[in-house]
Amino acid sequence: MGDYKFAKDKLPEVLSGLEGYKVFAPTVAGDVVRFGEIDDPSKVTLDFVNSKVPPKELMFPETETLFKYKMGDTAIEPAVPDATAKRVVFGIRPCDAMAYTLVDRLFNWDFNDPYFNNRRESTTLVGYACEKPGANCFCPSLGGAPAGEQGLDAIFYDLGDNYYLKTLTDKGEEFAKAAGGALEAAGDADKKAAEVQADAALKAIKRSVDTEGIPENLPSLYDDAFWEQFSDRCLGCGICTFLCPTCHCFDIQDEIERYDGRRARMWDSCMFSEYTLHTSGHNPRPTRKERTRNRVTHKYSYFPSKFEVIACVGCGRCTGNCPENIDLIDILEKSKEAAGKEAKSA
Amino acid sequence: MVDQNKMRDKAREVLEGDDVRRLIGWKRGTYGFEAAPSVLKDASEVDRLIWDPTCVGNLAGFLTLEEKRPVPRGSEPDTRKVAVMVKGCDSRAVVQQLVEKAYDRDKVVVLGIPCTGVIDRRKAEAMFGEQSEPVEVSEKGDKLVVNIGGESKEVDKKDILADKCLRCRFPNPVVSDFMLGEEVPVAGTDEFADVAEFEKMTPEEKWKFWEEQYSKCIRCYSCRNVCPMCYCVECVATKLRPQWTRRSTDISENTAYHIQRAWHLSGRCIECGECQRVCPVDIPIMTLNRRMTRDVKEMFDYEPGLDVEAEPLLSCFNPQDPEDYIM
Repeated sequence: MGDYKFAKDKLPEVLSGLEGYKVFAPTVAGDVVRFGEIDDPSKVTLDFVNSKVPPKELMFPETETLFKYKMGDTAIEPAVPDATAKRVVFGIRPCDAMAYTLVDRLFNWDFNDPYFNNRRESTTLVGYACEKPGANCFCPSLGGAPAGEQGLDAIFYDLGDNYYLKTLTDKGEEFAKAAGGALEAAGDADKKAAEVQADAALKAIKRSVDTEGIPENLPSLYDDAFWEQFSDRCLGCGICTFLCPTCHCFDIQDEIERYDGRRARMWDSCMFSEYTLHTSGHNPRPTRKERTRNRVTHKYSYFPSKFEVIACVGCGRCTGNCPENIDLIDILEKSKEAAGKEAKSA
Repeated sequence: MVDQNKMRDKAREVLEGDDVRRLIGWKRGTYGFEAAPSVLKDASEVDRLIWDPTCVGNLAGFLTLEEKRPVPRGSEPDTRKVAVMVKGCDSRAVVQQLVEKAYDRDKVVVLGIPCTGVIDRRKAEAMFGEQSEPVEVSEKGDKLVVNIGGESKEVDKKDILADKCLRCRFPNPVVSDFMLGEEVPVAGTDEFADVAEFEKMTPEEKWKFWEEQYSKCIRCYSCRNVCPMCYCVECVATKLRPQWTRRSTDISENTAYHIQRAWHLSGRCIECGECQRVCPVDIPIMTLNRRMTRDVKEMFDYEPGLDVEAEPLLSCFNPQDPEDYIM
């Protein structure tokens, strides 16, 4: 595929020249970096490590209408997004793009979810290689990398005065064509500089976990007091799950105003007590202990047992945003020790 | 000053007694500038306890956060006491919980910490960047010494302490069974200058401000869950039948949630600032709470969380109460 570059000050020109695409990119809204549709390219920021809210919301919005209806009428009006309306996500981090490839499996397991799939299909992902990883980043432990290419259609690197853009798929090449005149051909020096940067970024990652054996061992800790050292200080809030790029649970609710109704789905969190609450009042996960266990075991054991891959990309958001220092890497490391003890006593 | 060894000795003594089932304190975090809350169940664990300016969290919330587990038939629930370490501001939460009869006074052992201020993680990260290793912070007069990777840097307290600490009027716990150090002098005053500053905005400017802030809200409910005064078994914000606030996130529902919370905390908020600390999208939640606090103080001469014998403001009536409040 192609190698291109463009001067940094040409960025607004590149983004505004994309005919036929809806453009999504990171912006700062009230001090928080988050992805959204761009009407003014000058508002795009590329000064961030990881966006606060992951761009999973571009495929799986916080709240989305599934269909609309009128009270007293059995007809429904579906609100499935158009798979042919071209979109580009510009500036997505490699871990967040990799997360889409994991969640794809869930949304196409027993049912092909047209809401998620149509957005995926219509979207071109232009990644932004990480130059300086965050304090809690550990993507290499999950098979990713600061300049990883999984799931991406193109990737660009910040090389000081220029951005170096490498296209990876036909969709990526189509994006480069649409950007057109603002791009110029990149040389070997640019490619080399990108490689050097990718290597340096990989070395700058400070945290890691060896996931070997974890999916097999976690279920042995099901009834273990092990979880309490973490769950005792859990607030039971939704930060870790809502900010996780692979968490995909949702609730479905009907919202009615006079005669106009809609069925909508919205993010739900297994850390909430209502999540497993039965109508009878019984709750099979009655405390934060069972919920903490479920969150970690789902990602690192149940998901891989079904889909052959751990449902985590090592972005570090759950760890870095937990107000009470519930640290996923710490849990995983300690689980190995606890599982070893469990095996001995069994 | 709190002597860490004496603190651990006291914790050991408390846990060795057969009437205490757990002790809530702080331990070193796994990374960065904040200590982690830690729940100790055995006296052998006391060595992990720490006290320093990284101990920002208000642990009083954990007193009401703990779920009542279903008790198997034939066995009795564990009704032994819970011990908790509190700073001055945190202790007001314990008082207010007692005022509201959240639990009985004899079910909690309060270990009081005279506090000279805790750091604000956001300010620290703005100065030093995010850190992958735990950072140690100690006090040296008007400065804090921040130790990052073996290198010490001195910072003026006024630049790194949490805003609430800079105007703190209650550095010494207002309720305690044991004090873990000598009382410290009270230096702060609070004239609600931040509220007055905010009020300079026109209603249109204020709405624009809140619209931008509440649009960010992801409704993770961390502000509610961390709040030591938000301990309803079923919260009106997430109740499904009847449903007062929709689960969908949009400016209308988000605003309803936040205004509802502010009202439910009026006359109850003890200003520990935990809601704002934990907010992942940096909504200045305390701005609204502080306005309510000022109104309550001016109109009713009432400050919550100071007197265990006080009646909850909204549960008592005085013929002299101002009525211009009621539309």
